[in-house]
Amino acid sequence: MKRLLGIALGIVTSIGGFLEIGSITTAAQAGADYHYQLIWAVLLGTICIALLIEMSGRFAAVSKHTVADAVRERFGLHFFLVPLLLLFFVSILVLAAEIGGVSVAIEMVTGVRFPIWALPVGLLAWGLLWYGTFSVIENGVSLLGLITITFLVAALQLGPNWHALMAGIVPSLPSKQPSHYWFIAVSILGASVSPYLFYFYSAGAIEEKWDETYIASNRLVAALGMGFGGFLNVAVLVVSALVLAPRGISVDKYQQLPLLLSNLWGRIGLGLFALSLFVTCLGATTEIALALAYQIAQGLGWNWGEDLEPSGDARFSLTYTIVLLVGTLLVLTGIDPLKLTTLSMALTAASLPVAIIPFLVLMNDDKYLGEHTNGWLGNVSILVVSVLASIVAIVSIPLEIVGGS
Amino acid sequence: MRVHLVRDVLDKQLIDVSGQNAGKVDGIVLQLRADKPPAVRYIEVGPITLARRISRRLGDWVARLDARLGEGRGVPIRIPIARVALDSPSLRLDINADRTPIMALEQWLRRVIVSHIPWS
Repeated sequence: MKRLLGIALGIVTSIGGFLEIGSITTAAQAGADYHYQLIWAVLLGTICIALLIEMSGRFAAVSKHTVADAVRERFGLHFFLVPLLLLFFVSILVLAAEIGGVSVAIEMVTGVRFPIWALPVGLLAWGLLWYGTFSVIENGVSLLGLITITFLVAALQLGPNWHALMAGIVPSLPSKQPSHYWFIAVSILGASVSPYLFYFYSAGAIEEKWDETYIASNRLVAALGMGFGGFLNVAVLVVSALVLAPRGISVDKYQQLPLLLSNLWGRIGLGLFALSLFVTCLGATTEIALALAYQIAQGLGWNWGEDLEPSGDARFSLTYTIVLLVGTLLVLTGIDPLKLTTLSMALTAASLPVAIIPFLVLMNDDKYLGEHTNGWLGNVSILVVSVLASIVAIVSIPLEIVGGS
Repeated sequence: MRVHLVRDVLDKQLIDVSGQNAGKVDGIVLQLRADKPPAVRYIEVGPITLARRISRRLGDWVARLDARLGEGRGVPIRIPIARVALDSPSLRLDINADRTPIMALEQWLRRVIVSHIPWS
């Protein structure tokens, strides 16, 4: 019974935690600029992250290692440091985008410009981590994230053309501006396949003391949780295609984002959008800060654990404090949260192979996984998608920045 | 039992006698002996050894920084190999890391920063 409740909770929190500034923004841009044509990218990203999350949970349950810990052990110091530094750089940008997202949500309601809110938001996230426990953060914030189901309600109320929608499931060549199309496609992939997520997830599994009996439930949670989360992401795209595209609005200012719901439901819609953005970005902020601190602490062999008191893991707790501070300072500079979001999502996509290849090597090592190593299908699909996404991102980022088409 | 130093010892997690994480094995010290095979004498733990693996200059810089922390600091932390036991996938120490310089930074941060933050 307890296990069943755990599974249900896991699924629900995965759904509630799926959306954040990156996935909302990139899906909104896709719908506004290309109607349903990029639904395939959202689905591909969802399948990839579901596969990776399943692997990460299985890895922790069987090997009793977190991913960061094992990367250091298996590949040694240098191969631990190179991906760490790269991921740190990209993840700090994503973190700043999330803190920006929470701040922008407050701006939408109060009318007071977002940089003012960066410091209180950073402090709120820090307070949750410093004084809260893993389950408070993971379950509490993610449960509140279920508010994002409003996007699904909105999509259904708008009544999409199901036939056209289904056509978007199959990848197709862009109808206009090819480099922008591919830029958005890889940004969508970067937004869903965030490496911090599988570092975070394996650490969570260790904190909750998973063993091999969790393999089946882990698979169920990853498939259903991420699957339904992906549906919400498609819903954002659909709403954008039906609300923004007909009005010729291309999402290039963050102030346009609430139109997704306010066009439909007026002030209540605006409030719902702001609340969704606030809750999901706050959740992502705490997850990224924790994930980065986990990576350092596990790689260097420190005490770590969100359930320990900060006095029991001072180095770990001060690491996430510094990480949050850096992210907050970036937002304080007034850097545009929307530009930061799209750029950091595309950079995430570009860096995917660096994070994913060592992880895949671990997933095929029977010293860690015994009989539970990866099958070939999972290996090949993740490898191909991450390498392709990286190549397309590296080509399309400069083109997008110089404004080519 | 056959132990591969790089595969089974280097970069592995250390757990101390109280069950807490006591760092990774950042270095291994061998003694070269005349007419006999080299013998493993110590493992090294901590930022100085870690930094030296990246570059000698970075290592020296970290060592100078570390030397400011007090008497006996500024040199790599060494633990006699006799104190270490294999307990796959980790290594066990039969000492309490709190009484070694391994936890010095942790204790310093706890004392100087964490204890001053309310309700911590």
